[in-house]
Amino acid sequence: MHSARKLGVIFFPAYDWAISPTHPEREERLLYTQDQLQEEGLYDIEGVREYKPDVATREDVERTHFCFPDVDSVSTRSHHISAGGAIRAARLVLEGERDRAFALVRPPGHHAMKVVHGSRGFCNINIEAVMVEWVRENYGRKRIAIVDTDCHHGDGTQDIYWNDPDVLFISLHQDGRTLYPGTGFPLECGGPTARGRTINIPLPPRTSDEGFLMVLDQVIAPILADFKPDLIVNSAGQDNHYSDPITDMNFSAQGYALLTERLNPHVAVLEGGYAIQGALPYVNLGIALALAGVDYSRVREPDFDPARLAQDPKVTDYIKKLCDQIPRIYFDPPTENQDGEVRGEWFVRSKDIYYDTDNINEEQTEMLHLCGQCRGLLRVETKSTANPLSLGLEIPVGACARCQDLGFRQADEAQLKGGFRYVQLIDRVGKQYLRFGF
Amino acid sequence: MLLGIDVGGTHTDAVAVDESGILASCKVRTNHDNLLDSIEAALKGILAQVDRSQVAQLNLSTTLSTNAIVQNRIDDVGVIISSGPGIDPENFIPCKDFHSLSGSIDHRGTEIAPLDPAELSRAVKACRAAGLKSFAAVTKFSTRNPAHERQIKAALGQGAGGGADFVTLGNEITGRLNFPRRLATAYFNSAVWRTYNRFADAVAQCMTDLGLDVRVNILKADGGTMTLARSRSMPVQSIFSGPAASVMGIIALTRIHYDSVILDIGGTTTDIAIFAEGAPLVEHEGIEIGSHLTLVRALKVRSIGIGGDSAISLTQGVVRVGPNRLGPSAADGGDRPTLTDALNVAGASLYGDIARSRRVLTQFARPHGLDPEDLAAQAIKAAAAKIQAETRDFLAEINEKPVYTIHELLENRRIVPRKVYIMGGPAEAMKMPVFREFQLSTEVPPDFAVANAVGAALTRPTSDVELFADTEKGVVLIPKLKYEGKVGKGYDLEAATAEAKERLLTALYSQGVSMDAANVLVKEASSFNMVSGNRLAGKNIRVRCQVKPGVAFTLREA
Ligand SMILES: [Zn+2]
Ligand SMILES: [Zn+2]
Repeated sequence: MHSARKLGVIFFPAYDWAISPTHPEREERLLYTQDQLQEEGLYDIEGVREYKPDVATREDVERTHFCFPDVDSVSTRSHHISAGGAIRAARLVLEGERDRAFALVRPPGHHAMKVVHGSRGFCNINIEAVMVEWVRENYGRKRIAIVDTDCHHGDGTQDIYWNDPDVLFISLHQDGRTLYPGTGFPLECGGPTARGRTINIPLPPRTSDEGFLMVLDQVIAPILADFKPDLIVNSAGQDNHYSDPITDMNFSAQGYALLTERLNPHVAVLEGGYAIQGALPYVNLGIALALAGVDYSRVREPDFDPARLAQDPKVTDYIKKLCDQIPRIYFDPPTENQDGEVRGEWFVRSKDIYYDTDNINEEQTEMLHLCGQCRGLLRVETKSTANPLSLGLEIPVGACARCQDLGFRQADEAQLKGGFRYVQLIDRVGKQYLRFGF
Repeated sequence: MLLGIDVGGTHTDAVAVDESGILASCKVRTNHDNLLDSIEAALKGILAQVDRSQVAQLNLSTTLSTNAIVQNRIDDVGVIISSGPGIDPENFIPCKDFHSLSGSIDHRGTEIAPLDPAELSRAVKACRAAGLKSFAAVTKFSTRNPAHERQIKAALGQGAGGGADFVTLGNEITGRLNFPRRLATAYFNSAVWRTYNRFADAVAQCMTDLGLDVRVNILKADGGTMTLARSRSMPVQSIFSGPAASVMGIIALTRIHYDSVILDIGGTTTDIAIFAEGAPLVEHEGIEIGSHLTLVRALKVRSIGIGGDSAISLTQGVVRVGPNRLGPSAADGGDRPTLTDALNVAGASLYGDIARSRRVLTQFARPHGLDPEDLAAQAIKAAAAKIQAETRDFLAEINEKPVYTIHELLENRRIVPRKVYIMGGPAEAMKMPVFREFQLSTEVPPDFAVANAVGAALTRPTSDVELFADTEKGVVLIPKLKYEGKVGKGYDLEAATAEAKERLLTALYSQGVSMDAANVLVKEASSFNMVSGNRLAGKNIRVRCQVKPGVAFTLREA
């Protein structure tokens, strides 16, 4: 048996890591998926191979996040292997060893934001972002699209790429008025220098295969055709499944496979998905086969009943309207500032962030230097119930000399004047990641 | 005293050994039309040299199943499967009488849909109408719940009146998961079943005729043996055991410390095996038979078409050896020069009719304007260079993937050989040419010519079991042993590990094998809490135990 495309699968089930013994994010989560893939003989298909994950280094995480007090305090080895699995997937494709790659890894990452004080939405570090930054560090500036098909809004990924015009982030998810984390509305569409590069598509509860595929064809496909990414990454969460215990959607294994086939991402990375017996084994198999270009038409859940999952016409009408409106956000983004204000040369927004998994509250002020020459220095002042006031400074990819200089000056100043317990500086131009106050 | 016989492609070798060393050996030509003839001749040759009352056991490595498949002397098999959701089973059709039924069992062994009785009876009828007597019944996740496979077997019925002579059930081959491989393995097992059992009958008869009332074991490709009785229902496990006999022989004869290359140069092929840290590498999942991947465990060996009988050819000034055998060597009375003849002419060996080797090689060399010595030297170099190139390629392939030895997985380990061991008929003669190509210390172990038979004689039994327990359902299964039991909520990993070991040893004991418990390795032991709603519903436990391959004793010099 041959696959049409060479697929690499990186399987890391983190069999020794759980949030708590009965938490959805527990050791058992990928057990039945592993059984199913083995019983199917997936890795015996010529063209499909299993690979071991890389291990993300502390530097890989520091390149991406401001971790307070430091990387090791907010993440474990399992997180580093999960992120390393995503890196391995990208590496396989970029090195040309594989056409497509699937990082079937846990713990997940898409709720982890730029600043990390702890775990939120079961996520500590953003594994797709760590991967994307690894790619840009090693392969230079690239246009990358991240399409997040997890049922929850990918608020972490959105936060990290809010001001980055080179990364197009598209999230389709159950409407935030009905599900954690309560965000992801169409008007959240990116910062002043990257407006329209964040696209949110909130879908009503009980959206079926029909609705997801309609959004893919009518919204996502034309946007991707225009953006012309060098690399398409799919945050392949599986909690849109009709049997998922913590969400309320009607997506099926067949639907996921079809979506994967049509989206045709270079790299898929597992995110959520908690129907571990009835959904994950079949959805993961469907995604893997679709990526490899192997017939998946017989992949079905044991209790699959298309009639029961048929989409309510009211839901269909609602999604049709979304499909009419949302492309405008990308092609003709709103110009008014939704979430912050211009103060001098800076764009300032304030955020209160709750880390539900670790019960931490964070207050944050994010300031973007409106440089005009480059993406601009990013300055984040943050304090939380876990850490005193601290500072993060990022000299972004492709920053101008002035912003680079400004970044170092502000780091020096913060140390001299005091007031910040920890200071972290990400210098993407000089490829250095500095920490002070430790 | 232990007897070992290795039926090879060209020769059948036999030895008698005890702890003092090799007591007798014998080599006869293999008669491919009647393997039993060769076995009987070799056995008689040995018994003429030793006291037969001292013989305790005969171990036999035979190419019977391999040849049956290669020569297509196999039964038509009725293959009846049920695959449930997943990859289309049409991709795995091994033969024409293939019937796929609806019905499904999931990863936890829960029946999702029953087998369709109407479909089943239609399949059985079609098989009967086709006159089939050998069958394979394989269903997805049968290792978690064998009910559907058993139902198929029951529907086929037994014996006369259209029933089955033999049915291989997928779950009884191994508890490991891999439906396509299980399907192919079950198919081949049933395909060779009849041929193999006729042979086993003949071996038993031969033993009776010779007055030898000793246990007979059959070699497997994994570097172990199984009893003749067990082999009758699992003949597929006897496939490709020849290379394993040689590898086990070298373990008995030599102490290997380093990463090494083992070359067994036979009549028609050279088998290349690799040792890492002194232990042979194994195929992780199982070998390929025909173009089908199976669950037959084996040592990792690459066979290439270069042996003593390989013909020398010359095209456009390039001398080649093999891969074809065009009759016996001139030294054995043939008319085409071979590697053996080249070694004779080069003065590296003194095998058979040396004058004839020279005459035939000279006749072959002259039209090309070559001296026989030149041609011989070039042929020997070509053979050694080809062996070296294939070894390098084999190592590159191995180093790309995780490496498994018979003991364990070696994490992130690159294999860099420091030594070459050569055995087989032309071993001594090929030593220097191989050394020149490999540029590695090259050794020919003592008794190299019968290492394969020594390995056969001394190889210990191996066996493995997989235990699967689900305390929510309250069941424990060891498919291979056809064991199903009930367990309580308190059943845990420790109890499961102990049970798997004990039942493996007991099963071996019931076959007449007493095995030291220290030889049982626990290859996998894991327990997962299963959660339903917000409470712990039970444990999902998997244990895999394996008797590690080894030899009864070694013949190494102190
Ligand atoms: Zn989610
Ligand atoms: Zn700038």
